[in-house]
Parts: sequence; structure tokens; C-alpha cells
Amino acid sequence: MNRRQTRLFAIGSTALATIVFVGLTIDSHRQFPELTNADTITPAVTRGKDVWHEYNCINCHTLFGEGAYYAPDLTKIAQHRGEPYLTAFLKDPSQFYDEQRHRRLMPNQDLDDEEIASLIAFFEWVANVDNQGWPPRPILVAGSSIPGTSMTLAQQDASGPGSTDETLPPGSRPVSEEDDPVALGDALFNSATPTCSACHSIAPGVNLAGPSLAGIASRAEQIIGSEEYQGDADSVEAYIRESIVAPSAYLFPGEMYSANGTSFMPTTYAESLTSEQVDQLVAYLSTFK
Amino acid sequence: MRYKSQSVAYWYFAVAMALFGLQLVFGLLSAAKYLGPDPLLYILPFDVTKVIHTNLLIVWVLTGFMGATYWMVPDESRTELYSTRLAYIQLGLWTAMGVTAIIGYLFRYGTGNKLLEQPLPHKIVIVICMLIFLYNIGMTIKKSGRFTTTEGVLLLGLASAAVLYIPALLHYENYTVSIYYRWWTIHLWVEGVWEMIQGGFLAYLLIRLSGADREVMDKWLYVIVGLVFIAGILGTAHHYYWVGVPSYWLPIGGFFSALEPVALVGMAMYAYYAMRRSGLAHPNNLALHWTIGSAVFTLFGAGLLGFAHTFPSVNKWTHGTLITAMHGHAAFYGAYAMIIMAMITYALPSLTRGRSEDSNSLGYWAFWLQLAGMFGMTLSFATAGIGQVYLERILGLGYLDTQLKIQIHFLMLVATGSIFAVGVGLFIYDFFRLPPRLSVDRDDPALSTQAVR
Repeated sequence: MNRRQTRLFAIGSTALATIVFVGLTIDSHRQFPELTNADTITPAVTRGKDVWHEYNCINCHTLFGEGAYYAPDLTKIAQHRGEPYLTAFLKDPSQFYDEQRHRRLMPNQDLDDEEIASLIAFFEWVANVDNQGWPPRPILVAGSSIPGTSMTLAQQDASGPGSTDETLPPGSRPVSEEDDPVALGDALFNSATPTCSACHSIAPGVNLAGPSLAGIASRAEQIIGSEEYQGDADSVEAYIRESIVAPSAYLFPGEMYSANGTSFMPTTYAESLTSEQVDQLVAYLSTFK
Repeated sequence: MRYKSQSVAYWYFAVAMALFGLQLVFGLLSAAKYLGPDPLLYILPFDVTKVIHTNLLIVWVLTGFMGATYWMVPDESRTELYSTRLAYIQLGLWTAMGVTAIIGYLFRYGTGNKLLEQPLPHKIVIVICMLIFLYNIGMTIKKSGRFTTTEGVLLLGLASAAVLYIPALLHYENYTVSIYYRWWTIHLWVEGVWEMIQGGFLAYLLIRLSGADREVMDKWLYVIVGLVFIAGILGTAHHYYWVGVPSYWLPIGGFFSALEPVALVGMAMYAYYAMRRSGLAHPNNLALHWTIGSAVFTLFGAGLLGFAHTFPSVNKWTHGTLITAMHGHAAFYGAYAMIIMAMITYALPSLTRGRSEDSNSLGYWAFWLQLAGMFGMTLSFATAGIGQVYLERILGLGYLDTQLKIQIHFLMLVATGSIFAVGVGLFIYDFFRLPPRLSVDRDDPALSTQAVR
């Protein structure tokens, strides 16, 4: 190739790529309103976007996987956590995470109520954008989809203090109808929607979004015997059942679990689980003495 | 230095070096925060150190490009610059813009839009500086009547960089659309027009240092530019996969991103053949190290490590993890930091007094410590990123728990980052240890060794 031909190649390929790119851009604009639900971009969403920018959130977090890698991705956060939790978190992140334990903590941004509400509206919009199904599996902030993997080596040691056979990774063996209700409850603990094990660990001391359920039976006895308890349960089994179907009947202490008298736990189990299934879960959980 | 006005390059390089040093301070601070807990949580949180780290990079690299252009154009067009006064005014404005932007970031005065955090007044000053710069260079070439291919590619690259900054000045109501156009600036800069600029400098250095034939270099340069754009423009798609665009961007991104390394292979080959063909006759061997080093490290950092995670089926898992940081550090360093240090190393014996062209051992230490440090940093990010992808994205361990399990890689990052910082420190010390030469005089070593081609 001589000099002229190489120059033609440079100009030609650039021009061609540019034309295709501009064409695809025009077509993308045609599709943006539908893909991004542009009709749901309310003033609150726009305001939330401005809050997101104003507080430089993107230089720690990612949104659509874009940003900095120092803090969790927030693309689907509004689907994972409800508004009461997100509000309480944004009011004071240190209530939920410990800098000594996680070695990292979000500084309190001193957001006011209006800013928080707008930011959550923006996250709601982001979570519903059609983005080719990314992320392929949920990105959790803390804890684990697979119980046990978030534990330390000492906690994983089956012979360690506080261990029972039940702390072995559940779901490790298949269950059938003939199985003991406890085994069925065990399987249900990891398969109900939303799955219990996403928020509750059964390992002692491992508190995730919800408190650890290790030792729940003994704890239930103390709770129903105490004066603070306002619920209707008169037995350990009844207490656990009540906790599943009416989570706010008794609020477990700690600002990370509830706010304004409402538990952060989903209230959908009363409808999504059959009475028989709740029995199985109760059977399973009441084994944790 | 054959033209007195080339000495403006010294001041551009001096500002670039000072900002480079500052960039590392904020880089190391950010890296240390990965180890935590952070005693500066409420004084200098991560978002502030990180935004300063990346913005200093952009500012110093552009300062270096401008300085290197002011050095190269008189040489290529065989004339004095059109106006040194304009060049100094431009540098003053530019530096004031950069410094006030950094101070503003300390107080969260910025747009909060990744890499385009510059507030609007600063963005306008950036555009004004670019226009002064292009006018000055354009008039210099017009005055001389001699316009080489190398200059043409360089100028077109710089002019396109200015044009592509325009989408960054606009406001978008829809966050997805705003991301879409952010990449017109960022991606088309670093994987498009900046590569043209790098190619232009590379060709200039190879012609001067290895005596490569200009005709051959010009042809290579055109082929490389063609390859950069045919892959780079549509390769923008690899930033679009998961932000809310139509699905056809996935296969387009996968295919054209896979082509992106081809241009970089071409660039490395052309640098290597130029060196092989004409040997190492030029006494400034260190400048040749930086030149070839830049071409090779670009192939590694931008080409290979970029390719490692741009296929949609891979990127689905690696997107938004430290894998991106791995690629980003190696690519920017190889392609842009190294080519500027190559230009500086080539020009420095002429720009300072009492420096021989036979490069000193300090310069070699700076080169190898930087290379070792950056390679180590790349490996640290890579190992941390691979761990993160498997634990967090594939196994579903929480983000915070995953970060705890990959702490050892952050220790490695701080250690190798410190080695890199020592290398950069030596380079900066070597730059400033001798006084500048501000006139053309007889003891300039370049006048005796630099053949006019």
C-alpha cells in the first residue's frame, strides 16, 4: 500500500464507523423512553439524581456498575431494601455497619428528609430501567446468599463453640414430603421468597440484615416472659409463628432492625406461605435452643 | 533545542510533573483507605481523594500533551511558535483552572459526574484554553507552510479531543442518556483521539531517535489511525451494555472491542521494527526506553487487559469490580503517562542546562521502578478483582464481606504503589534538579546529534 491508500483507509474506516455509530445513536434515542421508563421520571426522581450528583456518590459507589469500587453497587438497592430501611440507613449509616468490623464505613452525609426521599425515588427509577438483566445475580451489601460463606474460619469450624448439626450448610441434601418437618423447614428457610437466609443467619453471633436466629428458642422463652412483650404468644412455637406472620408484634432491639415501631422484615409471609409451611419453619427454628 | 520558543514546553512539563506528583499522593491515600478503618473519614473521605486522583490525571496528561506539542511542532514545521505569549497565557489559565478545581473538590464543589466533575466555569475555561492552543499551533504551521503527517495526526487528535468535550457541557434529564454521552467524551478520548495523539508523538520520537524512514512511518501511522477508529468508535458499546440501551449494543461491543487491540499490536510492532531497523544509534537511549516501553505497555494494559473483560458474557460478571481498576491503571499509564515521559526525556537535555544526552542512572532507576511498581499494582488489582468477581458476583457473598476477604491484595497494592511512587519521585527529582535552558545556545547537545529529517 502506498501513502495515499493508507490515508484513504484511515479516512474511510473512520467515516464508516462514525456513520454507523450515529445511526445506532439515533435508534437508541428512539428506544430510550421505553427502556428507561422515561414517563416515570418525576420531579422527585430528577431531584434525587441531583442529590446523587451533589454528594459525589459516584466516587465511592457504582450505579449500573459505573462509578468507583470502594462501596457497593446500588443499581437494584431499591428492590433489595424497602424505604423504611433505606431511610434509616441514610440517616445514620453507622447504625448498620461497624467500621472496625468491616474496615469501611459510609460517612454520614447529613441528608435532610426531602433529599433522602428524592434519592430513594431516584433509586426506584434506576432499579426499574431495562438494563439487559444486569447484575446476573443480586449483589448483596453484606451477608451472603450462601449461608456460612460469610462466616469466619472459626465460625465455620463445626466443632467450634455453639455449633450444632444445623449450622452445616442447609440444602446440602434433598428433601421429600416424607421427611421430618424440621428438614422441610430447613429447606424452606432457604427457598421461601424472599428467602429467610438472605437476612437471617443460623450461626451464633452472625447478624445480617436480621438478627441471628441461633438460640431463638431460649430467647423466645425469655421474651414472652418479660414485661416489654406485648404480643399474643404463650409458647415458643407461637412466638416464632407470630414473628413470621406479623413481624412487628415484637421488635427485636437494635436500630438496624426496625424504625418507628415497624420491623424491616417483609410482611408477606402470612400470605405467601401455607399454614403447613409456617409450621415447618416453626419446627425448624424452634430447634435452635 | 533549535528554536527558542520551544522552551515554553519546559514550563508545561514542569506543571505536569508537579501535578503528577500530587496525583500519586491522592492515589496512595485512596489505596490506604481500602485497608481501613479510615482516620480521615470526615476530613478527606474516599470520594474526595478519588475524584482528585482521577482529575489530576486528566489535567496533567493534557498539560503534558500541550507541552509536548509546543516542543514538537517547531521541530516538525522548522519555525518558531506563532506566539509564546499566548502559550504562557494559556498555561496560566489552565493551571489556575486545574488548581482551583482541585481546591473545589476538597469542598465537594463539582458536578458528581464521573471523570467530568469539573464545574461549568472550569469546563468553559478548559474550552477556552483548548481554543487558544489550537489557534497557536495552527498559526505556527500556517506561518511555516510545512505540515507533516505526524503533525496532521497529532493536530486532528487534539482538535477532536476539544470537539468531543462538547457533550460534557450539556445537561441531560435522563441518567441513562447522560451516561450515553459521557462516554462520547471519555471513551472517544482515551480509546480514540488520545491514541491518535500518542501515535503522533510515537512517530515523531521514532523518526528522531531511531532514524526511521518518514515515508514508512507515515504509512504505519495512517494504518494505525484507521484501525483505532474502526474499532474504537463502535467499541464505545462496551460501556453501554448494562446502562439501559437496546440489546444490539452487546454483540456490537463484543465484536469491535475485540478488534481494539489490533491497532495497539500495530503500534507496538511499528515501534519495535523501527528500533530493530535502525539500531540504537541515538545517544538518548533512555528516551527510546520510554518510547518503546509506552508502545509495549499500551498493548499490555489497554489491549490485552481491556480485551480480558470486554466480551459481554465476561463483562456481565466483571463489570463494576476492581477488574476495571486493573485495566484502567495499566492502560492510562502505558498509553499516556509513558508517552509524555518519553517526550520529556527526549527534550530534557535541550530544555535544561548541564544535562548530557547519555542518560544517567537516575533516569533508568526511575524507569524501571515505575514499570515494576505499575506492573505490581496491575497484578494487585487483578488478583483482588478476580477474587471479588468469584466471591461477590458468582458465589453471592456480600460486598463488604468480600472486601474483607481480599484485604491481602490491598496490602500488595499499597506496597507496589509505593515502589511506583519512588520511581515517579526520582523522575520528578531528575526533571527539576538542573536549571532550565531558555535560549538556543551552542552547548545544547541536541544541536550536534539531532539530524534534521
